[in-house]
Amino acid sequence: MSGKMRIFTGIVVIAIVAIGIGVFVIRGPGPLDFAGGTKVALVDYRAGKPTGVPAKLEKAGLVERGEYLAKAADCMVCHTKPGEKDYSGGLAFKLPFGTLYSTNITPDKDTGIGNYSDRDFLNAVQHGKRRDGARLYPAMPYTSYTFMTGEDVLAVKAYLFSLPAVRAKAPDNTLSFPFNQRWAMIVWSAVFNPDTRFAPDTSKSPEWNRGAYLAEALAHCGECHTPRNLGFALDNRRKFAGAITAGWRAFNISSDKATGLGSWSDQDLISYLSVGHAPGHGSASGPMGEAVDHSFSQFAPEDIRSIVAYLRSVPAVPSPDLPATTAPVAPASHRDGVTADARGKMLFAGACASCHGWSGESPVSPMATLTGTWAVNDPAATNVAQIVISGTKRHTPEGALSMPAFGNAYTDDEIAAVANYVTARFGTKGSKLTAKDVAELRGQTAD
Amino acid sequence: MHMATTLTINGETKSFDAPPDMPLLWVLRDILGMTGTKFGCGIAQCGACTVHVDGKAVRSCVLPVSAVSNRTVTTIEHVGSTPAGAKVQKAWLEAEVIQCGYCQSGQIMAAAALLAATPHPDDSDIDAAMAGNICRCGTYVRIREAIKQAANGRQS
Repeated sequence: MSGKMRIFTGIVVIAIVAIGIGVFVIRGPGPLDFAGGTKVALVDYRAGKPTGVPAKLEKAGLVERGEYLAKAADCMVCHTKPGEKDYSGGLAFKLPFGTLYSTNITPDKDTGIGNYSDRDFLNAVQHGKRRDGARLYPAMPYTSYTFMTGEDVLAVKAYLFSLPAVRAKAPDNTLSFPFNQRWAMIVWSAVFNPDTRFAPDTSKSPEWNRGAYLAEALAHCGECHTPRNLGFALDNRRKFAGAITAGWRAFNISSDKATGLGSWSDQDLISYLSVGHAPGHGSASGPMGEAVDHSFSQFAPEDIRSIVAYLRSVPAVPSPDLPATTAPVAPASHRDGVTADARGKMLFAGACASCHGWSGESPVSPMATLTGTWAVNDPAATNVAQIVISGTKRHTPEGALSMPAFGNAYTDDEIAAVANYVTARFGTKGSKLTAKDVAELRGQTAD
Repeated sequence: MHMATTLTINGETKSFDAPPDMPLLWVLRDILGMTGTKFGCGIAQCGACTVHVDGKAVRSCVLPVSAVSNRTVTTIEHVGSTPAGAKVQKAWLEAEVIQCGYCQSGQIMAAAALLAATPHPDDSDIDAAMAGNICRCGTYVRIREAIKQAANGRQS
């Protein structure tokens, strides 16, 4: 080997090693690596059945089992544009580099997945590969669904194929270069898709394993609640530490006592997941509201408890921008407490006070109480602004309760003023939103 | 799904069948025939439907009836028998507040709740309590004056 050749070979080797280390560092741990116990293949696990449907559906037909799993995986919310037929696609995901549209997953042969074989469907859900061989963008959370068993994926397929075929073609994506290069997803997928099925952990309880399967493979909590790394994949070093997704803040759901779920009681968590509200913690709105309405509220009670058991085990990661404790109840009189922002106060008096009260404890319903919620205690006021813009509706066994959308009634400036007033009065630190911030938040939500 | 519900309204116990998520306003107007409380916007933004729940002004159009089962409801039909409500109604007549009248049961309920909690309100108290009650005729100046009359017991 000549001297030049040796230098060239050396550079290539160094480059490959550097890329390898880079990939390893960026990729970080997998979603279940924190547990650290002994993993066994599903077939070798005897202590319980972490996959599939709950006991009451064990004897149900394939379609019914698939329906439960499709709801647990929350396919519908992303694959349905508001006002259109279920699962017919077309929901817009607005990203910094363009817009992606969800696809039609009804069994229509031309515009849906009617021609998908079992293998095609498994390829899409577990490997991120479309029937024509093209790669899916990871807005489709196949890096989570990859942990589903083939049996469960095909049950979902059977359910989807039992639905009416809807002819609906989603608009073309409008991604800018280089993000419009689908082939690049081959590399992304090779680095970031673990492409492995769920493996139970024998050091943990059967309940924990069921919760891990539900939370990671199906409910894909991390897709919103785990921050992303340089490659836009989940950074599990900060697993469940919270992130901004689709313009809403998905709060910290790690076991951190101050800013995560560490101080929530089991009953709080069960209530929040199954009805979208827990006393003193507010009500689920935005994307989490949809997750409760279409997914968690349909879970069997034992499955909710399993998710709670699993969440408890996720290591604490603090959110340094959130206060250590949420603010107490504000004064009952409008005179006391924060009055600095006169415009925000005027708007609050006219549009908000009748339901939320001046103290933050709602005279209408505990579901409308602001005191204690992270939304008003987040100094960025992200979710306060979003709820004001788009409103919210909670369905409970006792009936629905809703807040109207003010996005078309108030200017960006007014929404910023009221959000700044609300966070100052009911939270620990007032936000400093500007009209420009609100305009940006409006632009980020999926529709 | 309907369910038997019992409510204390205007000091009387009323029993009826209603879906638990039916807004209190619908129960009042359509089931109990108490049409003094008005439907305005249906989204808690105009105040026409204001009633008292445990003495506090609440928009009945967004309040599911299931949420008031153990609470005391007072409507415009009965507010005149509360001390603050009687003062407000008297002042309202003296100041000739009302123009078309559609919003006025809500205005009176909001004003009575204000005076019960704050017997001598100043302008900022009136703003804070009444800003959510809209009057398309623009009787706001007379509403403010009547609240002050009711509070101070003086004639204009």
